[in-house]
Amino acid sequence: MLEQFTEPLRYEGLRGRDIVSAKDLSRGDLEAIFRAADTYRENPSIYRNLLRRKTIALIFVEPSTRTFHSFERASRILGCDVIGIRDPSMTSIAKGESLHDTIRMIESYGADLIVLRHPSKGAALYAAEISNVPVINGGDGGREHPTQAILDLYTIHRKRGSIDGLRIGFLGDLRFSRTVPSLSYALTLYSDIEIYYIAPPILQIRREVEIYLEERGVKYEKISEIESLAKILRNIDVLYVTRLQKERFPDPSEYERLRGVYTVTPEILRIARRDIGIMHPLPRVDELSPELDGTPNAWYFDQARWGIDVRVALLSLVLG
Amino acid sequence: MLLEEHLLVRKIDMGTVIDHIPPWRAGNVLRMLDLEKIKHSEISLIVLHNVPSRRYGRKDIVKIYRHYISHEEADIICLVYPTITVNYIRDWMVEKYKPRVPEKIIGRFRCPDPTCISNSPREPIKSRFRVMEKLRAVQCEYCDTLVEFDRIADLVPRKEGSLDV
Repeated sequence: MLEQFTEPLRYEGLRGRDIVSAKDLSRGDLEAIFRAADTYRENPSIYRNLLRRKTIALIFVEPSTRTFHSFERASRILGCDVIGIRDPSMTSIAKGESLHDTIRMIESYGADLIVLRHPSKGAALYAAEISNVPVINGGDGGREHPTQAILDLYTIHRKRGSIDGLRIGFLGDLRFSRTVPSLSYALTLYSDIEIYYIAPPILQIRREVEIYLEERGVKYEKISEIESLAKILRNIDVLYVTRLQKERFPDPSEYERLRGVYTVTPEILRIARRDIGIMHPLPRVDELSPELDGTPNAWYFDQARWGIDVRVALLSLVLG
Repeated sequence: MLLEEHLLVRKIDMGTVIDHIPPWRAGNVLRMLDLEKIKHSEISLIVLHNVPSRRYGRKDIVKIYRHYISHEEADIICLVYPTITVNYIRDWMVEKYKPRVPEKIIGRFRCPDPTCISNSPREPIKSRFRVMEKLRAVQCEYCDTLVEFDRIADLVPRKEGSLDV
């Protein structure tokens, strides 16, 4: 058993590829990333300096804590040089430089891979069309966040042992969320999935996500009545909570009106299955009570911690 | 051709006839065509609104004298208004165009989502939509936003000094 962890995992399927959308991934890709992440966890030393002489550009044109630091940490573990932009106000972007020119410039400085976070939807696809080196989407506005979906799935895989047959409820701001669409798309690769979108009508899941699920025959239901919630809670394996995406509300008064309308407290554990996993992409605001933190049901800190393992795995497979 | 239509406009010997446009929708059709290139030419444009039609009761017709719209343009207007027929006239001979469903529509109209990268004025980028025929909608390839066929005409950018149709 230990033998398989003596050298970094080899997998050709992701080499040199852009990771723009969770829709781009196959089940084989995801399983390879999970195996590489397990390999790294079991034997981190074989990944140290694996990608020496490679340069990774982190272009973050929108605030980020976890995604930025986990990519930076993963890059350094792999021995890469890290260049890029963290604070756009200190760069030519503040002077009006286009994303097009930023990508060209960073590429000419020797980047072998670009991780991009940007406030505009579709920025990662656009960057991938311009760039000659792989682009990884670190979140493009309210559209997608595919590496978050990968680590969400990795968390479920580790905690539950399997993703097939999963019954998952998404609770919160589903309309402006980018993690919920990405995870929903990736879940279509597994069998017997049931998804419940729990949100008031104004924050419900976007139509394009529903269509994607319908085209692939994935069972889903939209729940807007609080009365139905208890029944759902008894039935689901994972409750995935998201915060209100304040920065994406076109009308700030609408945000204020909806703020604090939902908070998950330890009360729900009385109704829910005993082994329900509670997930959250973090940061949280009011929607997740800190009283849950000490319970075995709180998966969100592991979820955040394993972000590094997953990103070591992903970078090693794309650049390996 | 009904008598009223016959009296309103005569046949043309060369150019494009866009027929069976839903009544009062000719303006939308014209906005979807790239007519800037013919604006200062000798080409004549004849627009008929709300003329009687045997098949549909009422219809609009557009005749573009001495100009042939591209197949791509014909495909797009037929997609938005499936009743439309496009005829190319060459020396009085009528060639009926059989429209195809395009896979993608590039740079013809803007994405309705203001946060889509394709709306960024700084970027050298063209809008790009994939056609989802069954849903009668297109989907922005950059931001995934869905646009029903009926809304497409409203998303054609009006350039300053463009044809006022």
